Amino acid sequence: MNKVFNRGNASAILTVVVLLVLWEVIARALKSVYIPPISTIAVTFVHEWFSPTFAQQAIPSLYRMVVGYFFASVIGITIGIIIGTFKRMYELLDPVLQFLRAIPPTAIIPVGILLIGIGDQMKMVVIAFGSMWPILINAADGARMVPAQRLDTARIFGLTPFETLWRVIIPSSTPMIASGMRTGLSIAFIMIVVSEMIGSTDGLGYYILSAQRTFAIPEMYGGIALLAILGYLLNTGFVWAEHRVLAWHYGQTAKPV
Amino acid sequence: MTKKRSPVNWTGFLFFLLCVGIVEVLARLGWLTSYVPPPSAIFVALWQGLIDGDISSQIGNTLWVYVQGLALATVLAIAIGVLMGTYKPVYDALKIIVEFLRPVPSVAMIPLAILFFGLGTQMRMSVVTYAAFWPMLISTIYGVRAIDPQALDVARNFGVAGAEVLWRVTLPSALASIATGFRVSATIALVVTITTELIAGNSGIGYYISQMEQADRLPPMYAAIILTGILGYLLNSIYFALEHRFVFWTPAAQERVR
Repeated sequence: MNKVFNRGNASAILTVVVLLVLWEVIARALKSVYIPPISTIAVTFVHEWFSPTFAQQAIPSLYRMVVGYFFASVIGITIGIIIGTFKRMYELLDPVLQFLRAIPPTAIIPVGILLIGIGDQMKMVVIAFGSMWPILINAADGARMVPAQRLDTARIFGLTPFETLWRVIIPSSTPMIASGMRTGLSIAFIMIVVSEMIGSTDGLGYYILSAQRTFAIPEMYGGIALLAILGYLLNTGFVWAEHRVLAWHYGQTAKPV
Repeated sequence: MTKKRSPVNWTGFLFFLLCVGIVEVLARLGWLTSYVPPPSAIFVALWQGLIDGDISSQIGNTLWVYVQGLALATVLAIAIGVLMGTYKPVYDALKIIVEFLRPVPSVAMIPLAILFFGLGTQMRMSVVTYAAFWPMLISTIYGVRAIDPQALDVARNFGVAGAEVLWRVTLPSALASIATGFRVSATIALVVTITTELIAGNSGIGYYISQMEQADRLPPMYAAIILTGILGYLLNSIYFALEHRFVFWTPAAQERVR
């Protein structure tokens, strides 16, 4: 975000240390089952996640998410570019898309369970459905808002429609698509957790909810912590990749015009 | 998020009806699975649910949790956001917590909330508050930090101090950014309210959807799902209109007026 300030980092570290110590002390004083000491949670975390449990619970979640998100991106970008390029198409489909998009993605999960069952496929489909909308809408907006200059230039240089699409419209839309894909990724992450909480026999969502139901409290906290770490890594990784892929765009916009 | 100024999009609307009609015919002919009832049956179920109170009472529950959670999140986010945006030491101390907690998907907090609050409205409210808090917090911090230093200097020269600066300079300048964050938070809050009901509630639209799914009563289930979409759409339109009406002094809004 900002420049790295040493003093800022020092106080950040201090805050974390103070909070962790406070948690430990309060938890030991309260002796409540609901708030285990942070050290217990840490031990459980290491014990659970540096073991085959990771392969049993976390890998299926990530696998479903990656596949669902991949389809969301492919379908979203394709349809988005098409309806963004052809104005008629946009007008025709706009109400249908607005209607489908307005439905909270998680409300689709019961329908998915009915139609497909509670297997991997259902999760992939609902993830794809939920995370597709921001990608599609952004791709359409990106394609619609290609500067007229660029299209004119393409015409002057005699580019065929296909070349215009490939060399002008798609590159111009990528910054918008990337931001849609970032929103889509966080939705995909939510969808995987929820779909596993509602209908699953494994995965991280299933793991933390059943840990709560069986009063395996440190395991529950550990699972939430793992989700936090995965969420953080996904987001950071995406931003990193975005900046590499779109280096040309950021280089262009950063310069004073 | 582009607003179209054209009158009614008749082509699109007709195409929408055509799609509904096709599904209707296919469902009546039995070419779809039995899990997709004809749209007319869904519409009848929606109408009946609204009239006899089956669905309408659940809307009330959902909205009540939603409004409470969102209101609490707004108050907390603006208070903490203003503090973090104004005072650098506060920002330094708290930013790491924000960085850590923000990526936690709010739904992952549901088991924790159940543990502390049970299955009632309090549990759902706490999850909604948590989810709605972050976007508003971030946009408040940005809004406060983006205040024109000149405005603060002018205020100081005119002898405006303390709480008055907050009221007359900080909040008005940051309000546009806060309003944007609020709209994001409000959308998230509704989705999270319904999601929480779906997973673990004991009332509300989400709960109704999962009950109908388990009872194999499909038309009411689809009716409730569609209703959540309508609800989200209406709420978003209302916020959009309110934002245009009340946050009128920012450059962006001025631009729109012209």
